[in-house]
Amino acid sequence: MLKIENFSKSYKGGKKAVDSLSLEINKGDIYGFIGHNGAGKTTTIRAIVGVLDFEEGEIWIDGISIRKDPVACKKRTAYIPDNPDLYEHLTGIGYLNFIGDIFEVNKFDRETLIEKYADAFELTSNLGDPISSYSHGMKQKLTVIAALIHRPKLLVLDEPFVGLDPKAAHTLKTIMTELCEGGSAIFFSTHVLEVAEKLCNKIAIIKGGKLVTCGLTGDVKGNQSLEDVFMELIEA
Amino acid sequence: MNKVMRLVSIQFWAMFADILSFKSNKLKKSKIIYAGLVLFALFLGAMSFFYCFAIGSSLKMFDSIDILPPMMMAVTCLIVIVTTMNKVKGTIFGFKDYDMVMALPVSTSGIVASRLILLYAFNMVFVFIVMIPMMIAYGVLAKPSISFYLISSLLLFFIPLIPIIVASILGTAIAYAASKFRHSNLINVVVSFAFLIGFMVISTTTGDTEAELAKVSEMLIKKVNGIYPLASLYTKAVCEFDRKALLFFLAISVLVFLLFSFAIGKVFKKLNTSIVTSQARANYKMQKLKQATPIKALYIKELKRYFSSSVYVLNTGFGVVILTIGVIALCFIDLDKIIGEPQALAMISKSAPVMISFCAIMCCTTMASISLEGRSLWIIKSMPISAKQIFLAKIAVNLTIVFPVVIDSIILCFILKTGYLDSLFMILFPIACTVYVAVFGLLINLKLPNFTWTTETVVVKQSAATMIVVFTSMFIVGLPMIMIAIMPTVQPAYLLGGYTALLILVTIGLYHSLMKWGADRFAKL
Repeated sequence: MLKIENFSKSYKGGKKAVDSLSLEINKGDIYGFIGHNGAGKTTTIRAIVGVLDFEEGEIWIDGISIRKDPVACKKRTAYIPDNPDLYEHLTGIGYLNFIGDIFEVNKFDRETLIEKYADAFELTSNLGDPISSYSHGMKQKLTVIAALIHRPKLLVLDEPFVGLDPKAAHTLKTIMTELCEGGSAIFFSTHVLEVAEKLCNKIAIIKGGKLVTCGLTGDVKGNQSLEDVFMELIEA
Repeated sequence: MNKVMRLVSIQFWAMFADILSFKSNKLKKSKIIYAGLVLFALFLGAMSFFYCFAIGSSLKMFDSIDILPPMMMAVTCLIVIVTTMNKVKGTIFGFKDYDMVMALPVSTSGIVASRLILLYAFNMVFVFIVMIPMMIAYGVLAKPSISFYLISSLLLFFIPLIPIIVASILGTAIAYAASKFRHSNLINVVVSFAFLIGFMVISTTTGDTEAELAKVSEMLIKKVNGIYPLASLYTKAVCEFDRKALLFFLAISVLVFLLFSFAIGKVFKKLNTSIVTSQARANYKMQKLKQATPIKALYIKELKRYFSSSVYVLNTGFGVVILTIGVIALCFIDLDKIIGEPQALAMISKSAPVMISFCAIMCCTTMASISLEGRSLWIIKSMPISAKQIFLAKIAVNLTIVFPVVIDSIILCFILKTGYLDSLFMILFPIACTVYVAVFGLLINLKLPNFTWTTETVVVKQSAATMIVVFTSMFIVGLPMIMIAIMPTVQPAYLLGGYTALLILVTIGLYHSLMKWGADRFAKL
């Protein structure tokens, strides 16, 4: 579903934020992307979803190059950024309907899925209010709902659990599992190693822009905890 | 006090960097922008000098030259009030880094003072541009003693203090009243427009023919003195070198400024919460949703974004509103009777396309529409839509906002009884100008975007992109007038026709550049 081949990204000044990263995420995978601050996680994620332009390497979504046909790739993808900066002037329902229009979600699916996920995240009663009146957590929930209503084949999340209350975090984890069981793929970055360990079937660890290790969660961590493996690799 | 000044310094440079859209590693670009800004300030200063000199010369003929300093001081105060009023929300209240600033170990009064000083610093630009040329013009015409220069130079720094307070009170009152409504921005826009139009109506009903100038000015000064007692103190201090008046002027200005900072400091948090908090009901029940095509959805989203920002609407919609009100007024006025001479009416007809186009071209919404995406830029960048669709939606909003100008032009054709050819260009030229500025504005904003702004005012009013678009547009729309003036033998309609055709060709070129270079640039943002 997602194939990253030798992806590199340098910023002004020549510093490589990501260096020759290659990864493959298949249908049904919940792929955890772990690394310390500034390791290159967000840069990689932003390139995958077409927010960040890049020159080196290639990223394929469902066999389509993000550089050659970004619109087709974006139709299959949903992105949840680390900071839910939304259109504050719109109401919650206005924003969800806008996303529905852009992704051309039919009326029945749109209404059914908004109701389903808004109820799940206990946000339905707030949907008529302007987003400017929402708390950080409510904005995060709205971003998650917006990402789910067009049934993405690939869900890319950057630190999705930050700002969510424990119940909402649990709901999101359940939805992520359901989505993968339905054939979608999930790629997400997190600093919460316990979540990654429990939720992900595959893990990749990145350090200083370079991939340190990747593979099945069990293979990566072996007999140790993911935290121990991570600390060993990062301090090496 | 040190903490307040440190706060001012950080906020000032942050805002200045926002205005010029530069980062520390773009020194060369910032130097060019600096030079452009200095040249522009000099140009405005020169314009101000000629204006002051012309008024001063007329006043001198009526032996009333002493009216010039207080008159220009009143003009400065009005400029400060009008331009500061809609900056209150975003600068004093509801600024983006509110949480961070309020958590600092600085008193609330100190924070309020720092925000007011910030407004003061930016208003000093207007003061210098109007008052220094006035001092030179008055110096040439009245040949005053050195005391005039010393006192007026000292008072320069105190002139904007009270107007800033007045504007802050008005702006706060409007923002506070508007916050009580669900559509607070709309209320803010309507009240602010009403205030500005009321101000313009009052200032234009005094009449300004040269023969009446002295009388009108005297009346105006009396009025200003009545409303604003500090103006009479200013006159006495500057023209009569009255020390008591000078001391009173300084003391009152500083005292009121300090008192206001202190008083607002006491209720700042409460007022800020009232002004920035959105009305939430939390009673939504799922309803049937309306569907739209992606391009229509984008257009509606852009239109809602436009009307959600009062400073955006006030700055880009004013030309259209004022033109429409003017045209409606003309429908009920017997123009022949007022103007009298048929030649004057013919002159108005000739200059009307340019006047209308000026109102239209000043309503460029695209010059800030990319920057206004701000930190939510990721939304449109991650959506399955092309850059072309995004650009077209932004251009469509600009055209929608300016659409009433087309109706105004058609009505004006009937009012001015223009011929077929003149009528054609009365409609076509404003449309050509509007499309040009919508495309050009977008290109410039793509070249000079700013996504890290702390207040919308910075990108809408003070950014490098806005300044470039506004001043090049003034030139574009003013050029035909110069051509008509220097080529009196050529039919104005032919000149305007040729110019419109050229503008359309330029716009086509810019459009192609937008779709190619602009799309690449957008991908890199």
